[in-house]
Amino acid sequence: MDFIGMFPLFYFPDIGSAWLMGITGTIHILASHTSVGAALLFAFLAHKAYKENRTDLYDYMKKYGMFLLIFSYVIGSITGPGIWYTATAASPRGISALIHNFVWVWATEWVFFIYEVIGVFALVYFIDKIDRKTHLKLTYTFALASVGTLMLIIGIISFMMWPGNDAFYQTGSASDAFFGVNTFPHMFLRIGFMIMMAGVIGLIISSAMKNKEVSYELTRKMGYVSLLGGFLVLFFFMWYIKTLPESADILLGIYLPSILTTRIILIVAFALYFLLAIVKPQYIRRSLAIVMLFVIAVVGLWPGEKLRESLRKPYVAGRYIYSNQIISRDVPGKGIKSEVEIVADKGLLQVNPWIPDRLRTITPENRLEAGQLLTKLACSNCHALEPGAKFRPLMLRFAGQDKETIKAFMQGSLATGAIPYMPRIDLPDAEFDAMAAWIATQTN
Amino acid sequence: MDATLLNTLRDPAGVPFYPVVFQALYVLTWALHAAFVLLAIGSITLSLAGSGKQKQSTDWKLLTAHMIQTGKISISLAILLGIAPLLFTQVIYDPNWYVTNALSGIWVFTFIYALVVGYMLFYWFYYANKKGGGKLIGLVSFAFIVFAGVLMHVFSVESIQPNEWMNWYAPGGVVDTSGLTFHMDPVRLLFMVSLSAPVVGIFLQNYSDFLSTRNDFTKEYIAFTRTLGTKIATIGLLVSAVLFVVWMFMAGLLLNPLSLAIVVSVLLLLAMINFVKRSYLTTLWLVVVALLISGMRELIRFQIMADLGYSIYDYPMNIDWPSVVMFLLTFVFLGFTGVAFIATLAWRAGKSEGVFDASKDALVTRLANSTFAILVLWCLVYFGWGMFTVFKNSFA
Repeated sequence: MDFIGMFPLFYFPDIGSAWLMGITGTIHILASHTSVGAALLFAFLAHKAYKENRTDLYDYMKKYGMFLLIFSYVIGSITGPGIWYTATAASPRGISALIHNFVWVWATEWVFFIYEVIGVFALVYFIDKIDRKTHLKLTYTFALASVGTLMLIIGIISFMMWPGNDAFYQTGSASDAFFGVNTFPHMFLRIGFMIMMAGVIGLIISSAMKNKEVSYELTRKMGYVSLLGGFLVLFFFMWYIKTLPESADILLGIYLPSILTTRIILIVAFALYFLLAIVKPQYIRRSLAIVMLFVIAVVGLWPGEKLRESLRKPYVAGRYIYSNQIISRDVPGKGIKSEVEIVADKGLLQVNPWIPDRLRTITPENRLEAGQLLTKLACSNCHALEPGAKFRPLMLRFAGQDKETIKAFMQGSLATGAIPYMPRIDLPDAEFDAMAAWIATQTN
Repeated sequence: MDATLLNTLRDPAGVPFYPVVFQALYVLTWALHAAFVLLAIGSITLSLAGSGKQKQSTDWKLLTAHMIQTGKISISLAILLGIAPLLFTQVIYDPNWYVTNALSGIWVFTFIYALVVGYMLFYWFYYANKKGGGKLIGLVSFAFIVFAGVLMHVFSVESIQPNEWMNWYAPGGVVDTSGLTFHMDPVRLLFMVSLSAPVVGIFLQNYSDFLSTRNDFTKEYIAFTRTLGTKIATIGLLVSAVLFVVWMFMAGLLLNPLSLAIVVSVLLLLAMINFVKRSYLTTLWLVVVALLISGMRELIRFQIMADLGYSIYDYPMNIDWPSVVMFLLTFVFLGFTGVAFIATLAWRAGKSEGVFDASKDALVTRLANSTFAILVLWCLVYFGWGMFTVFKNSFA
């Protein structure tokens, strides 16, 4: 029997397993970006404290460092591998493709990460235990190592979007995959966000300092830092979107009008908050600073990450693995063959190794059960399948349609790959029929 | 489950280097990861025990605070060092790892947040203990961390039972996509957990030896920690040895040469714990024992897979030399220099009373400057290589 290398399916009802990854990813980004931004901020503050002999700044750095240890390094270091875990459960072949292309890049990042984590402990706990000159050197190396982790991971996540040219597909080389057209704009975009987050967290610490004079001075500085970071985000976002694939442009055209107004309001609100910190630092209270952190996370970061994830559709990695785990094209440099044609020829029930024998052939008795399973296999990575589900609900798209209309859509659009942000899902007539029959029972 | 299907589940991109290298790196890094997991469990247990005794004893009060600090850093290092074996296992045993994660998807998700909650509560315990309280928080934190450990054990055990995968995924021919599969091997788990006692016991001996040169710790305290460490390590190791024999007997590997080597090395470790004065030597031997145990885990997996006809050694290869060279150079130059810098700094600062002026220490200064120079050079090479690649491919 001809099988393709698909894995068992994990599906989380109402949310969809891919969104579990999105939740973990967003939390990780908040924590990890803060830590890299803070590393740069530490280097700046340590430099200033050393050159100007400002002992009060060490106190601030220590408090900031303890906050970082708990917030960024506890959450960030667990949710980092946590993304691997959830991605493995939700998109095993996607993460496998990344691992098998970039294992040495990740191993290199691990070396940087080791230095970064033991560095942050040393930086915080030795602040009063070692001389300031050595502490300054430690801070510089810590900042470089932190940025190094970004420099390494950025090529991998940029490849998830696309390499941007044909070189990788022909050579299979990790460098051709890693240094794609959007690697550098993506990196600078994220550096901007990191700097902004370092300022946002810095405001929480500075606003709670007892010495008001120092508190206001640092609050002002954090306001400038956040403003600078925010400006960099906007500036590099313009470059970044110019390096995206055509399907992302189409999606952006669909999503942008509905989110543009909110985005503008958010940018103005954040800018006003940062300006307030600069002009009237006494108005920045700890409670406000904490609320603003969550506002940025919930209404700024989460929709932004959702958008980025959506723009990648219908692929999960390198534009050769569809979100439903089927390989969409040949990659001669790696000896990889497209699986779309074999699925079209034999059907998912025949080529997926994890189908029970009783469901391999569709009969009138098992048609609905097979249809449900096929829908899960083909659609559930992006769509929640329950009627009334919130995250990209599949049934809403077919509301009120009968089986034949649903089937006609599948055969006309899905099978031909006519929708650029959907995978080409070409199945034998009996499988489309079973899927349409089951979906019709859910929508009517 | 046969070899044809297992081979189909391999990534079609192949592996980017010789599989045996990934296997060796897996064994090495898992041993390091496990050492800190065990130290974390051991030190947290001891800190919880100490939090009940610290009101009656100043020795316990000091030890409890230091064990909490040890637990805090050990969890972080365990996570950090756990990344590497997680990476390498996915390269050569990807069918096993991905099937398991999909079958237990909900537990995979739970694992992350159990660890986040457990670790954050431990920080709470750290602050609460400074005011003399927080035992309940400590216990809850411990429960979450142990639960996360149990889940990790579940994933490992499930991944080496390929013949059960289909039964778990579609019991009675009905597909179950809930990700709720949960299977344990209690003896193996108990053995692994029991090792936390000898690990923390030997750590206490090291701790005692390290502080013995400082004048701000009393001789009584040094003796107290040394004796306590010896006692915990001895009893713990005896329990571990019994559990190991039971585990090996049940796995049919009791007379395997590696299994016998572990028994002998454990007996030697027992002798060293009780008779060797310089405990750092005992720690070195403990590392050897950890490597042997890690090797045994890998042997079990390798044999199970070999019996099914799957061999990691015939995994198709697509060697990617540039990324191999990048890793090796970074690992050797940045890894060794950077870690040596912070480790030397930490060791000498720990040995000093008051502020340690590292700027007058030639070795620390040289290591600090070298680390900085390597990092700057690394960044320059990265941008040079990146820009060259982008230009080359843009105009190709």
